[in-house]
Amino acid sequence: MKKKYLRWGAVAAAATVTSLMLASCGASAPSSSGKGSVKSIKVVIAEYSKDQTPKFWNAFKAKYEKQTGIKLNLQIIDWNDLDQQSSTMIQSGDVPDILNENAYASYAADGLLYNSDQVLPAATKADIIPAFVKSGTYKGKFYGMPDLSSARALFYNTDLFSKAGITAAPTTWDDFVADAKKVTALGGGDVGYAQPLGPEEAQAEFAIWLFNNGGDFKADGKWTLNSAANVKTLEFMKSLSVTDKVTQNNPGHTNRTDGAFSLFEQGKAGMVVGFSPLQGALDTQYKSVKYAIAPMPSGDGAAAQTYGVTDYLMSFKKTGNEAAVKAFYKLYYSPSEINTWIKAEGFLPVTQSGLKEFASNTSLKVYLDTLPNIHLTPTDDPEWDKIALTIKQNIGLAVAPNGDPKKFLDDLQAQAEAGK
Amino acid sequence: MASVTPGPVAVTRRSRRRRRAPGTASLLEALLWLAPALVLILGVVVYPAITLVATSFNKYSIIGLRLGPAGFTNYVNFLTSPDLLQVVWNTVVWVALVVILTILISLALAQFLSKEFWGRRVVRWAVIVPWASALVISSQLFRLMFDYYHGIINQALITVGIIHRPIDWLGDSHYTMPSMIAVGVFVSIPFTAYLFVAGLNAIPTDVYEAARIDGSSAWQTYRQITLPLLRPAILIGVVLNMIYVFNSFPINWILNGSNPGFGNDTLITYMYKLAFKSAQHDVGESAAAGIFNVFIILIAVGIYLRFVNWREAEKK
Repeated sequence: MKKKYLRWGAVAAAATVTSLMLASCGASAPSSSGKGSVKSIKVVIAEYSKDQTPKFWNAFKAKYEKQTGIKLNLQIIDWNDLDQQSSTMIQSGDVPDILNENAYASYAADGLLYNSDQVLPAATKADIIPAFVKSGTYKGKFYGMPDLSSARALFYNTDLFSKAGITAAPTTWDDFVADAKKVTALGGGDVGYAQPLGPEEAQAEFAIWLFNNGGDFKADGKWTLNSAANVKTLEFMKSLSVTDKVTQNNPGHTNRTDGAFSLFEQGKAGMVVGFSPLQGALDTQYKSVKYAIAPMPSGDGAAAQTYGVTDYLMSFKKTGNEAAVKAFYKLYYSPSEINTWIKAEGFLPVTQSGLKEFASNTSLKVYLDTLPNIHLTPTDDPEWDKIALTIKQNIGLAVAPNGDPKKFLDDLQAQAEAGK
Repeated sequence: MASVTPGPVAVTRRSRRRRRAPGTASLLEALLWLAPALVLILGVVVYPAITLVATSFNKYSIIGLRLGPAGFTNYVNFLTSPDLLQVVWNTVVWVALVVILTILISLALAQFLSKEFWGRRVVRWAVIVPWASALVISSQLFRLMFDYYHGIINQALITVGIIHRPIDWLGDSHYTMPSMIAVGVFVSIPFTAYLFVAGLNAIPTDVYEAARIDGSSAWQTYRQITLPLLRPAILIGVVLNMIYVFNSFPINWILNGSNPGFGNDTLITYMYKLAFKSAQHDVGESAAAGIFNVFIILIAVGIYLRFVNWREAEKK
């Protein structure tokens, strides 16, 4: 009997150990908070690119340390792991001083952040483009300091367009569908439009189409997720693959980077919604693809809307770190720093001084002109953080042949209202 | 049981005379030697386990900030989530099929590998390769091979004429799970096959000689001699694979990476998505899921051991 139980115990232990080790990956970070210490600050930065991000931030670290005498502990984390790592840091009490993320409102809502009155020089705040100040403001205070921005536009393959006999980029959705059909008809595996609605970044794809059909996520402080314009937009997006058959195979299961973009980079897609880093890749790595950039086609006849994205550099309230954080922002927003980095990464400026500096770059003109009136997602509402996750995770199911766009948006609206 | 050896008794008797017999150590000495291992176990297993249990009973905000005690809310939320049934079913299919296929293929492969033939060494090395490479890398390679547009699998099947249009191996819900299972079997075979090779080598040759003299056919020999004598190895192979496959993360995570919803997730990837990808974005609920997973695998292994009658196998 004894032996049996011993063996059984060993198996149980082995099973428990492996399961627990896996289960607790996220929960086993060392906790060490440097309370009261202003000798060093911890700065967590998202990795925008493998080469430029570390290059800029290491140089920045050296300058900051020389200027202030405060040690800057730099941690650069891949976008795919950032969310998990930052969550673990907060959970284990190892809070960074500065965190670079694509959302800030949930942190502000939990009362963890400094606002601009506490840590941002007034002149710096005045320099930031008002649209970004607005998107960084939660309950009247400016918490989400923008680090850089990007804007989306329609990229089209000019070789495929001329082969299909199309002379100009589409300006209406009807033109868009007609052009996409012509490119698809070329055969040989070419697709009219590469549509990424997989979980990576689907909320961006949805946003740009609905903004160009008179839709929005929120209006006058109320959620409008299932508005008539939004439902019509999503039904249109579904019809592209289901009835018109002008997209790549299975858009709801295609991610942006390794799916839609890679089709366009290989010259297989007539059109794709892109942004300046895609432009960078096309100009350096995929030079054989001839392309042009145009404003988005309009669904409701109104002027084209530009969908923009900004990420944030937020700072956490910790005893005695206020001055160090302030010095960080002061240095970061000096034109020689922020604009150098934005240029290197191929993104767009967030400051008025940056706009002026970038104005000479003709290839960015398409975006720069629209930047002051850029249309952003409601990142100032903490509830949006969850809405965006639901869109990413589930919109792919709504655009499947048996999907129901209206029901998806109704559920989304219910989720948003319940969160209030 | 009856198998108590006289050893320990003799030692204690002698130790009364000489304080300590050679080969035994005082508690302090033992602790000293065990210290590194104990520290490791405490730090890597016990501490995270305690944290996990504690996390599951607390409420966390979307960014991971502890808001206060949660009681059993996390467990209730997890157990009532609408996707759970599908996820559990996926897990059952995933574990059962990968383990069964792995065992069957490995049995055949082990027979082959234990025969003498020219180039056996090379073949043995080749079989071990999938095991030696990191799971993340293998999974990423398979993702490329399964790709709808550029994947080599579709190209090969079309060239040979088996299919006429590409198959969306990872995106079409009919094929996603079978594709993942195929990869799961591929990476599980090396360990299992080698376990069986060792098992086969341990069977004494005179048993086979006796069978041959008695005129037993090849199939009879296999059924009545090889399989029963291989039973302990099969038992271990099944149990270890069950645990290993159940806890496997990279294959499902990477091959299922561009699919929406939770239709192809197993309990392990679902647990991760609960914490970091889903709208819940809740480490507390995810921790509850983690505890649930530990119990599920314990119960599954327990049922299996009962089913095969563990004690019987031990006697043989």
